[in-house]
Amino acid sequence: MPFLGSWRRVYLAVILYLCGFIALLAFTWGF
Amino acid sequence: MRTLDWIVLVVSLVFVIGYGLWRSRRTRTTDDYLLANREMPWYAMALSIMATQASAITFISTTGQAYADGMRFLQMYLGLPLAMILISATAVPIFHRARVYTAYEYLEQRFDAKTRTLVSIVFLIQRGLGAGVALYAPAIVLTVIFGWPDYITTAIMGVLVVVYTTLGGIRAVTWTDFQQMLIMLAGLLAALASAIWMLPADVTFLDAVRTAGIAGRLNALVTTFDVRDQYNLFSGLIGGLFLALAYFGCDQSQVQRYLTGRSVTHSRLSLLFNAVAKLPMQFLILFTGAMVFVFYIYVQPPMIFHPGEMAKVEQRADAPQLQQRYDRAWQARRDAAGRDEAAFTTAQAEIDTVRKASGATNDTNFIFLTFVTTYLPAGVVGLIMAAIFAAAMSTISAEVNSLATVTVIDVYKRHFRGNATDHHYLWASRLFTAMWGTYAVFAAGFGRSLGSLVEAVNMVGSFFYGSLLGAFILAFYAPRVGAHAAFLAILAGEAAVVTVHLTWKVAFLWYNVIGAVAVVAAGLLLSVVLPRNPSASQAT
Repeated sequence: MPFLGSWRRVYLAVILYLCGFIALLAFTWGF
Repeated sequence: MRTLDWIVLVVSLVFVIGYGLWRSRRTRTTDDYLLANREMPWYAMALSIMATQASAITFISTTGQAYADGMRFLQMYLGLPLAMILISATAVPIFHRARVYTAYEYLEQRFDAKTRTLVSIVFLIQRGLGAGVALYAPAIVLTVIFGWPDYITTAIMGVLVVVYTTLGGIRAVTWTDFQQMLIMLAGLLAALASAIWMLPADVTFLDAVRTAGIAGRLNALVTTFDVRDQYNLFSGLIGGLFLALAYFGCDQSQVQRYLTGRSVTHSRLSLLFNAVAKLPMQFLILFTGAMVFVFYIYVQPPMIFHPGEMAKVEQRADAPQLQQRYDRAWQARRDAAGRDEAAFTTAQAEIDTVRKASGATNDTNFIFLTFVTTYLPAGVVGLIMAAIFAAAMSTISAEVNSLATVTVIDVYKRHFRGNATDHHYLWASRLFTAMWGTYAVFAAGFGRSLGSLVEAVNMVGSFFYGSLLGAFILAFYAPRVGAHAAFLAILAGEAAVVTVHLTWKVAFLWYNVIGAVAVVAAGLLLSVVLPRNPSASQAT
């Protein structure tokens, strides 16, 4: 001996996705 | 296991390993052997990262947890997407720019050789001590369910891993991981589809979801903060964030996956794919457990899923009464399902009480495989066994591969033989891979006699993660902290975690937070009295 144009928007999309996933898990109380 | 199951299992093993070896057939240099010449595409790294994290016991045990207790386990992963963002934004470009083989190599560029050596040795001890667990844990369960001797199972999985990791290096590991992750996904979907398909004709999928929800088997969030409980929203978001930062950002068994990326963009995409896909993957595993629970509302399950424990209960004087209570409660629950929510909940509470009275507190590892082997059709059982083998092998191959890389780069080349030829380091890498793999197989073989010791070792391993993370936070974000301050801060962080463990009952997820915060605080304080020597290191 890049989707959505820039990384910042990608990171924001992942955070929003996480919030949505937590909301789905909360729907724990829906039944 | 029927003939078709054996065919599916053997063909999948041969195909996956053959494909991995074929993809790595031109490995000729150390760069290629350890980092695949840094030309891996994002999708191969993404599935390799996922397969490395998913161990066989995750597959076997997590489904059982949902059956017994709901989905609270999922909260541990809520911090993972945030960690992937932070690692993508910081560690990925820094490691790529530094052109390192290991994460710990960077610490010498930023601090000095003693800090790099300390962290490398911590990694080798931590990963080395736990190396056999990924093989040994599923072998125990397969022994109970199938009667296969555990040394046979560990030897088959271990020898196959040693062969393809030693011959093909990281290229073989990544491409076998890629295939193994697809097999895991196929096995999981087959189990879930089978559980739903075998429900009575008058029970729709939505009925099944509603029944699981009423029974609390879809409960995923706990909003009560308790520092002693690792399954709540706060420990998941904060403790889980720190755990994922340490695991994906500082543990060579994961860092080496994305160091092989052909660019920063590819490495980032591989991590962000996991940020998005990991939670649904874990949800799918737990949801399968919840559907198995619904299946057993209409088909009576054994009172205890561990055959050995069930045999012990049958010897007890009160066994007939326990069985009668259990039969009555199961019948009452079945009659109430979908009709009378209050009666259903009462019957479920009675079933839980009887199971507890019979000693069924520790049979979650056997629920999923009992369902699979008793009710699933030929071929599907083989596919699920292939998935369990794939999960174990993908985890152990990453461990062996990364242990060998750190041994060669951070110990052998750094301290013993610094100016040999590339050919020499390639063969040293192969030799250390074979040695670590062989060691892992033997460690797994001794797993039965060292049972509680193995657990203790794993617990001690979790003590180191926070300090490891703290060292990298100082390296990335604290430019005025020098080498001596960082070295002492790592030791101070370790002391803080051990002190907390001995004096305060805290869920292990919080150890990562405490260790990292202690290292950063100690590093910043020490930098006042031990300022950084500007000529000592260049990287920031």
